[in-house]
Amino acid sequence: MAVSASDIRSALSLPSSSTLVQSTTPAPRKSQGQITKKPEGISRELYALIGPSAPSLVAHLAKPRLKQKPNFGSGGKVKWEWRPFRNAGRTDSLQLGHWVKAADDPGAEYPFTKYNVQSQSYTYSQEEYTRFLEDKDWTKDETDHLFNVVREYDTRWYVVHDRYEPPPDGPTRSLEDLKDRYYSVCRKLIRNRPWTGDEASKAQLLNSYQFDKDRERMRKDYIASLEDRTPEEIAEEEALFIELKRLEQNERKFKKERDELLRTLLGIDSGLPDIVAEEDGLSALSAEGFKKRKKNANEIEIPSTPSNIISLGPPPPKRAHSAKSAAYDAQHCILRVEPPASSTTKITHTPVHLRSFKLPAPKAALLPKVTQALTELGINPTRLVMPTRENCTRLESLIEATTALIDTKKVVDRVEQDIRVLRVRLGRASEGAEEDGKEGTPMEVDGGAGAGADVDADADADAEGEVDGRAQSILSTRSGRGRKQVRYSSQILSMPI
Amino acid sequence: MVNYGGDEVSALVLDIGSSSVRAGYAGDDIPKAIIPSFYGYKATTVDGDVQMGGNAPENFESTTKQTPSDAKLYLGQNGPSIWREGMEIGNPVRDALIFDFNPIPALISHALVDVMRVNPSEHPILVTEPAWNTPANRERMAEIMFEEFHVPAFYIANTGVLNAFAAGKGSALVIDVGHAMASITPVVDGFVLRKGLVSSALPKLVQAHARHILSNPTQTRRGIELLPHQLIANKLPVEPGAPPKFSLREDRLSGTTESWRVWCESREVEEWIQSVAGVLDQGWNDQAAASRPARQYEFPTGYNTYFGPERYQVGEQFFFHSPQLVAQNPNLPKNIPTLLSESLRACDPDLRQVLMGNVVLTGGGSLFPGFADRLEAELSRNFPHVKIHAPGNPIERRYGGWLGGSILASLGTFHQLWISREEWQEHGKPIVGQRCK
Repeated sequence: MAVSASDIRSALSLPSSSTLVQSTTPAPRKSQGQITKKPEGISRELYALIGPSAPSLVAHLAKPRLKQKPNFGSGGKVKWEWRPFRNAGRTDSLQLGHWVKAADDPGAEYPFTKYNVQSQSYTYSQEEYTRFLEDKDWTKDETDHLFNVVREYDTRWYVVHDRYEPPPDGPTRSLEDLKDRYYSVCRKLIRNRPWTGDEASKAQLLNSYQFDKDRERMRKDYIASLEDRTPEEIAEEEALFIELKRLEQNERKFKKERDELLRTLLGIDSGLPDIVAEEDGLSALSAEGFKKRKKNANEIEIPSTPSNIISLGPPPPKRAHSAKSAAYDAQHCILRVEPPASSTTKITHTPVHLRSFKLPAPKAALLPKVTQALTELGINPTRLVMPTRENCTRLESLIEATTALIDTKKVVDRVEQDIRVLRVRLGRASEGAEEDGKEGTPMEVDGGAGAGADVDADADADAEGEVDGRAQSILSTRSGRGRKQVRYSSQILSMPI
Repeated sequence: MVNYGGDEVSALVLDIGSSSVRAGYAGDDIPKAIIPSFYGYKATTVDGDVQMGGNAPENFESTTKQTPSDAKLYLGQNGPSIWREGMEIGNPVRDALIFDFNPIPALISHALVDVMRVNPSEHPILVTEPAWNTPANRERMAEIMFEEFHVPAFYIANTGVLNAFAAGKGSALVIDVGHAMASITPVVDGFVLRKGLVSSALPKLVQAHARHILSNPTQTRRGIELLPHQLIANKLPVEPGAPPKFSLREDRLSGTTESWRVWCESREVEEWIQSVAGVLDQGWNDQAAASRPARQYEFPTGYNTYFGPERYQVGEQFFFHSPQLVAQNPNLPKNIPTLLSESLRACDPDLRQVLMGNVVLTGGGSLFPGFADRLEAELSRNFPHVKIHAPGNPIERRYGGWLGGSILASLGTFHQLWISREEWQEHGKPIVGQRCK
């Protein structure tokens, strides 16, 4: 079913191409014969549909380039034939047969002949032997035999040693003996024969025939002794080796720690090499370094005072906190701290620390009381679960508040005690007229002191200073404190009040 | 073609072992013909010197008699295994060496002509020999090949070297446990180090031990009658451990020769070994042996029972001999650890590392389950870096020597080594020793 372009056009009620062409340009009319000359790779029907007006498509529809089919030989079938061949490596006329491609050249050399490589070996004449090669350990026959065996087995020394048969009356030869004899003969031959090349190549050749028998023997002995170790010896060696490793590691650790300590304590004075790196170190001493430092100071702001601190790199340049960086900081929870601007001397320098290490500790005298007060609240002041900045500040303020509270309470207690004492005295002064010489009842004092103790047991150490002589016996027995101390404090404090 | 180095000239490979003769084309991976080395024969002229009493079962020396040259031979799969009246059984191979060349041409001819259907005069042939072969033996083999089979070319190669080649190694320590001999051959660059070569008749000891276990009564069972199925007329199934119910073929008993009976018994023992015996992979341990499951085995008589730890005692003989056994037998075959240390001691200290890194385990006798594991355990106890090449494929393990020959004879570079007919005629026997180093 052939559908021509004109059919489609008529079906779609388009003006026919010929009329279209005619109306627009007076181009030469395309004959029917031209249309049939379709480009390669496009079907006839499709071409008839789209017409010649799609050159871009044609490029696409060019015959797809599939993977090239493997080319087995020239034309599909390969003819093989059984052909006898001769091996050039052989000295006889043996003909073996093998299958080869019929197209192969029958006269070609057998491809495996090239692997028949003969190693070159030295031979010597009788004259050479008598002139250079005499050796009291070796007869000429034995040397000949050695050279034959070496040639036969292509200097595979283990095999040579295995197949070498010493003469019945001669000594047994070790592998080193054989090698030594062979190489020394070769060296002598090279040295004494006329040499056509240059000296360097001769020396190189001589070098390749070098053999140190004693060293080789020592090496072998060493290998043998290594293999002859008993399991106990091996275990001991291994244990020693591990111990050595451990000691080395310990020493390294110790040295590291010592350096660390020196660095912390002495800084640059310790003379440790890796401290010098910073410009405020040694370089400050030399004029050159000083200049350089000054120059640097212009570029990035560094502490201007020469100091011996071990800084962890140059201090970060102060930059204006732009809105952007502030937002960035807030987002990433970065809190910028102003560096201590006043001085960065060694004494005031604070190294990098954990925030939790710097928690404020209450005064030593107040510590137990503060701790107790906090424990009553259910807070453990020594350890923060989450020592964030806020938490640290809050703990700090809490401890401050507690200290303040304790101080206040102490003052309150003292004042109350004063009031009580004064009241007692006042009462006594007024009663003195009625009951002469009668002192305040111990019960009263006890009650007062006991009430105070109930309110704040910790305050009584301070309060008892104010207790007068008669009250002290009761207090001391009750609190179980050193009587001596109480007496001492009462002696000092009770006088002027 | 040149890339892989192969060039097949349709050579044949012949491997004569103690238990079977293998023959096939070079380049194949399995021998085409595998026939037993044992053969049956009937002397045509029955002379009076037939003395059969010498083959006591506990004696692990094989028969030393030579076959009369004019005897009628029964070869191949239907040879010795078929009962014939008055048929004797012989084996030309002793201690892996051919000691009786009379039946050899017939055996070779059977393998090549009757089984493989080839004309030997058209193919070069590669024959294998054990490393301890004598020069006279290999020359005799060359003579047979050239004069009787008219082969165009001949080569004789060492099984140790061929086993190393089969494993793809030029240097290796080949541990070959065959039917009659266990040997350790150090091979360096394709040459056997003769000084490090050791061998012992260990498999014979293992077989003797197995026979001893089976035929001697224990607390739980009586001695087992090792009768071949050829001599049993009928039998009834019995419970495990119960006495067998069978009747013998009385008509055959009188015509059965002693050598045939011995051969059959050893076959029964071997069958039992092959199906039941094993090696404990971590040395002998009564508990470990007892913890392994027992295996049932049924003999041709119908007697069947479960074999527990005793099946591991058999394989243990390869690695360990009890002191009382050593005391009783002064010339006991050396076990494998002894052989190994002996072989290594003879080698250069430099070589030991190389050899231990290339241990090749081969031979049908090494197919005991757990043998390779045990060997590895024994070796790694004494040497730091041991690598054992033990083909898992039983064909490769059993016919490693043949396989190496198949590889060697199909190499393009090998073809200049053949001893041609022309060279044989020119130089005579010495050429064998010169060419086949």
